[in-house]
Amino acid sequence: MASLLEMTGIQKHFGGVQALKNVDFDIEAGEVHALVGENGAGKSTLIKILSGAYTPDSGTIKIEGQEVTIANPRQAQALGVVTIYQETSLYPDLSVLENLFMGRQPRRRFGLLDWGAMKKEAEAVFKRLGVDIPLSARLGDLGKAYAQLVEIAKALSQKARILVMDEATAALTSDDVERLFGIIRTMRSQGVAIIYISHRLDEIFRVTDRVTVLRDGERVGSERVANVNQNWLIQRMVGRELTNLYPRNIRAPGKVLLEVGNLTRIGVFENVSFSLREGEIVGLAGLVGSGRSEIVRAIFGIDRYDSGTVLLEGKPLSSKPWEAVQSGVALLPEDRSRQGAILAMPVRANMTLAVLHNLHKGGFLDEKQEASITDRFIQALQVRPPRSELPVASLSGGNQQKVVLGKWLASNPKVLILDEPTQGVDVGAKAEIHQLMDRLVNELGVGILMISSDLPEVLGMADRLLVMHRGHLVAELPRGASPEQAMAKATGLEAQGIAHVR
Amino acid sequence: MNATRRYFRIRLSAAEIVLVAALALAIIVMSRLSPQFLTVNNFFEVTRFVTEIGLISLGMSVVILTGGIDLSVGSIVGLSAIVLGASFHAGVNVWLAALLGVLAGALCGFVNGLIITRANIPPLIVTLATLAIYRGLALGISQARNYRDYPDVFYKLGQGYVGPVPVQFIVFVVFMLVFVLLLGRTVFGRAVYALGNNETATRFSGIHVDRLKLIIYTLSGFLSGVAGIVLVSRLSTAKPDLGLGYELDAITAVVLGGTAIAGGSGGIWGTLLGLFIVGIVRNGLSLAFIKADVQLVFIGLVLIAAVVFNQVTRRPARR
Repeated sequence: MASLLEMTGIQKHFGGVQALKNVDFDIEAGEVHALVGENGAGKSTLIKILSGAYTPDSGTIKIEGQEVTIANPRQAQALGVVTIYQETSLYPDLSVLENLFMGRQPRRRFGLLDWGAMKKEAEAVFKRLGVDIPLSARLGDLGKAYAQLVEIAKALSQKARILVMDEATAALTSDDVERLFGIIRTMRSQGVAIIYISHRLDEIFRVTDRVTVLRDGERVGSERVANVNQNWLIQRMVGRELTNLYPRNIRAPGKVLLEVGNLTRIGVFENVSFSLREGEIVGLAGLVGSGRSEIVRAIFGIDRYDSGTVLLEGKPLSSKPWEAVQSGVALLPEDRSRQGAILAMPVRANMTLAVLHNLHKGGFLDEKQEASITDRFIQALQVRPPRSELPVASLSGGNQQKVVLGKWLASNPKVLILDEPTQGVDVGAKAEIHQLMDRLVNELGVGILMISSDLPEVLGMADRLLVMHRGHLVAELPRGASPEQAMAKATGLEAQGIAHVR
Repeated sequence: MNATRRYFRIRLSAAEIVLVAALALAIIVMSRLSPQFLTVNNFFEVTRFVTEIGLISLGMSVVILTGGIDLSVGSIVGLSAIVLGASFHAGVNVWLAALLGVLAGALCGFVNGLIITRANIPPLIVTLATLAIYRGLALGISQARNYRDYPDVFYKLGQGYVGPVPVQFIVFVVFMLVFVLLLGRTVFGRAVYALGNNETATRFSGIHVDRLKLIIYTLSGFLSGVAGIVLVSRLSTAKPDLGLGYELDAITAVVLGGTAIAGGSGGIWGTLLGLFIVGIVRNGLSLAFIKADVQLVFIGLVLIAAVVFNQVTRRPARR
């Protein structure tokens, strides 16, 4: 059977850098084809060429055997190529229906909008996807999963034949991921070709048929998913064997560092109690909206709490972030580009931001000390490229995260709270961050509280796992628990009145 | 990455080259308009004029760098002037009265900062309100009177010279150098840029953002107070309408100097360039007997052109 899309010998330079070297890629109708690789491997460049944002230096693109040129996004759309990005381009304040037809509303006479036609078409599309969604609801009230869904529906109603999904699950809860996979399977059965980009390798095995791996702009492998395993993928992606994605040396925990007692913020979380000891990693799992991020924000003092206590080494912890930092608490926030890093500023300024108040000498900023701190953590965390003057925005996601981590390590924390430390980070950098976490607890006796949506990750790293459901702490699972057990608790399937867990 | 950085650097200097060119162009045009323009005496006349706006624009630079704005500066100039005049006429020593005027300015700025951080209202609205309030206070305290007749020694500040250099210009240069160091070389300056680039991340990094804002608005008020004192000394009189519309010239100078109106990038050297362009345009137009109403229109157009220019030159760097 001829391929629906065939890209052959695609080359692309940016200045002196060759982003794509002679890359071949093809996809058939009704196929889900994963495109994987570390950040900077060339995935985005390839997709941007397909969607008309870039033109290739050389190479051919054929759709149904016909050679085509895709010079701009409009042409791509006319050929049925639609890309859905992680950050959706929708309007949260408008209704589902308005979003679906934004910019291309059918008209009646006198320029009036044809709501009837819109409604009919929308219903047909959602029926095709097998979902029921209130068309008049405000999109922002429905949650991120529905935003993705509306994007997909929008793509389908634009007669998409080739759908590119770029990190579509990054912001979704596991429930929503399941729903999305169901929709992907429905579309596949209807002959839509789907190019699926994700850092989450387990998803590749669950939903895709074929996988192509890019590394440094080259295609280093393309196989049927049924013929390969996770190790094969990782080895191709990083070019070396990663012996263990979750390296942990468990030690006996020391004294209690952080003690949270009956912490309550009305309507967000209630009577949450737990403790964190020296030299241990405690995982905090739960669906998005379960209150897990809100709790750590309250501990660090970004948000208020209504009642309860937070003790650091037996003494009450101030609820002001600047005082929490001074007493040895650090929070790596979940949203790297908004809350974690200052993208436009250089690595050096970011790395020293948390210790800025200690960095003066005779009234001036101590640039020597700044350089030595920055160099130390660039080395220790293997930030690449190792240049302290670069703006953080020019680094890959994984390296940006290392800079934010470095900022907090420079403050020498006793308690390190990590909210989604590896989100959007490629597998090589992920393993490095995990190794570092293990070293921190073992060598320095840091206590780490770790939030992650990636259940295998948090189970692999944590000494014990706290599970939240709707603002309550519902379970504490020991090391070695299965993802299914954790998921059952997090979704509330087994939430029978274990409100207080120590 | 290397390439983007080089690109950025060239862009930045290109923006500054254009500013210098604009300054040169302004000088040429003005010297055509008026034969008195291109003289040493007139140059120092310009520096006398730019001092008050210059002092204000130093504080305004820091405020705008953090993504804020201070519209109340002109009213603070007026109120400080009146506090000086009224307390001197109540029998206070003139320098002590001047100090009271400056402190009143700082207090006005502090109140701005307090409302902005505690009530969490945008600076635009807060300082628009205090623009009215402080001017109202100045009018109320003075009962629309003018305060004159200061001792001669006080006039040295705004009318004296050291060699050919006006005293107030020396005052301005000292403050300017302090601010260059403050922004470029201190922990405070670093925090200001961090705040302007990303307030959320700055807060999450444990920086005391509210205290920082409080300091910044207090500084802006303080400098407006100093400007008020210098102005009284230059004009020999304290009137409640002093400093009216100064926020326009100060904001124009800062934005023209390349400080991003959204905060995060820019600096004092740029402001200095912008300040001289505004000063020269004002001075040249006055020498050419162009009326104040036309000058206003002109400065307004310059402000819009400056913002457009900044957006055009910044667009590639922001990606």
